[in-house]
Amino acid sequence: MRIACGITLSLLTLAASGLAFAREDRTFDKTVAAQPRGVVDISDVAGSIEVSGWDRQEVSVHAELGDEVERVDVSSEGGRTTVKVVLPSHTHGHGEAELHVQVPKGSEIDVSAVSADIRVSGVLGVERLNAVSGDVTAELGDADVEAKTVSGDLRLKGHGSAARLHASSVSGDVHLEHGAGDFEGSTVSGELVVSLDSARSIRARSTSGDLRLEAKLAHGATVEATSVSGDVNVRAAAADGGFSYEVSTFSGDITDCFDIKPEHAGRYMPGSTLQGTRGEGAGHVRLKTMSGDVQLCDRS
Amino acid sequence: MTAPHDGNGRKVSSLAEIPTSIEPGRDLWPNIEARLKESPAAAPVTTGAHAIPAHLRRARPPWLAAAAMVASVAVGVWIGRSLLPGVGRGVEGTAATTAPSGFAAATDATVLDAAYVSDPRYQRQRAALLRSLPARLAALPPPARAKVLASLAAIRKAKEDLESALGKDPSNALLQELLVDTYQDEMRVLTDVREASEPGRGI
Repeated sequence: MRIACGITLSLLTLAASGLAFAREDRTFDKTVAAQPRGVVDISDVAGSIEVSGWDRQEVSVHAELGDEVERVDVSSEGGRTTVKVVLPSHTHGHGEAELHVQVPKGSEIDVSAVSADIRVSGVLGVERLNAVSGDVTAELGDADVEAKTVSGDLRLKGHGSAARLHASSVSGDVHLEHGAGDFEGSTVSGELVVSLDSARSIRARSTSGDLRLEAKLAHGATVEATSVSGDVNVRAAAADGGFSYEVSTFSGDITDCFDIKPEHAGRYMPGSTLQGTRGEGAGHVRLKTMSGDVQLCDRS
Repeated sequence: MTAPHDGNGRKVSSLAEIPTSIEPGRDLWPNIEARLKESPAAAPVTTGAHAIPAHLRRARPPWLAAAAMVASVAVGVWIGRSLLPGVGRGVEGTAATTAPSGFAAATDATVLDAAYVSDPRYQRQRAALLRSLPARLAALPPPARAKVLASLAAIRKAKEDLESALGKDPSNALLQELLVDTYQDEMRVLTDVREASEPGRGI
């Protein structure tokens, strides 16, 4: 009896240590040297990707791997570091990996995912972020950003540094806070909500999604927003130089906070327009819809 | 009734007595030349058999000609499609046989498709993207697939609404611009879906 208990205990201990070993084996850690302004490519199918900038000249990867993940490849050569989660060919892209990648903060990053969510913080270089159904959340640095999803949402947060920002989604929502510089955004059926601390140019477009833009316009800035059936709401404050505006809609309503009534195309023709100038008229605001309502105001 | 006189005041009794040419009393060319120099732009027009006075001629804006051309093509396509239903829908029809539910309704061609975007390269590219779309959609995660189909349906509805509005107001520049934007959005969606499901793209 004592021997049986001993054998059982030993087997249990062996099994437990084996399980622990197996679990430990499903994490991955690797650090490689990298250039302070190099390029880092990261790809993961499912799970999550978290990228953060740090002061070291290294790329550090920590990953927790799902059962269906085969391995993680990390390589660095000629200023380009690649981090790739590799799945066996039979998995059809279901293997999940939670990736945590630290990169030199001046790096240019190129991140691709299918259903994995992407989160980026503390990176000052150019960011190119692509996901299919995953959400993208990113802090903007001082450089240009291009973020794109098919059905995932985009949430971008800047610090008021001027850059070229390009955000597009097919059906996801696009949110930008404290952006600055030039913004170009589009969505088909999602909502686009954008706020810029200092805008040189804004181009926003949707098919059926609503557009809400709030911006302090730099001198001579341009704002163009068009939608087919979505509503367009623009609050544009020009600190210097004012702006001219031209609003037109085929069957929507136009409202403004200037106490100016829109002109109708004619008694028997649909369509109305609103035109005028605020201040010196240095900037230009053009808003167009087919059936969406339009609101324009120069104060928040 | 008095008898006609020739240029010199003499009575004329037969046609043969009328001179075949009459020299003007002074040289007219210096005045004509001066007038021509005053309005050089008018010179080529005045040489034509049906010359139009300069003050009646106005430059026609190029968009008017383009709009007229688009409108006439649109009417032609409309009539053609109404009389011959099913013609020109081969690509979409083929794709729909293996497509996810809702695919055909979301991507079927609208009335003005061919009229507004007549560039053959565009048509070829769009047809190729539509052919491969069912397979591309199948490669997407199911929730993403459903959302993409919903977006394509939104684009199709937008095109239908714009075409319907253009039917009431064919020369409306706003509607034409929005329709062109919508075609561009459709291509962007098709391209994004292709890229998202492309193997070996680092995903």
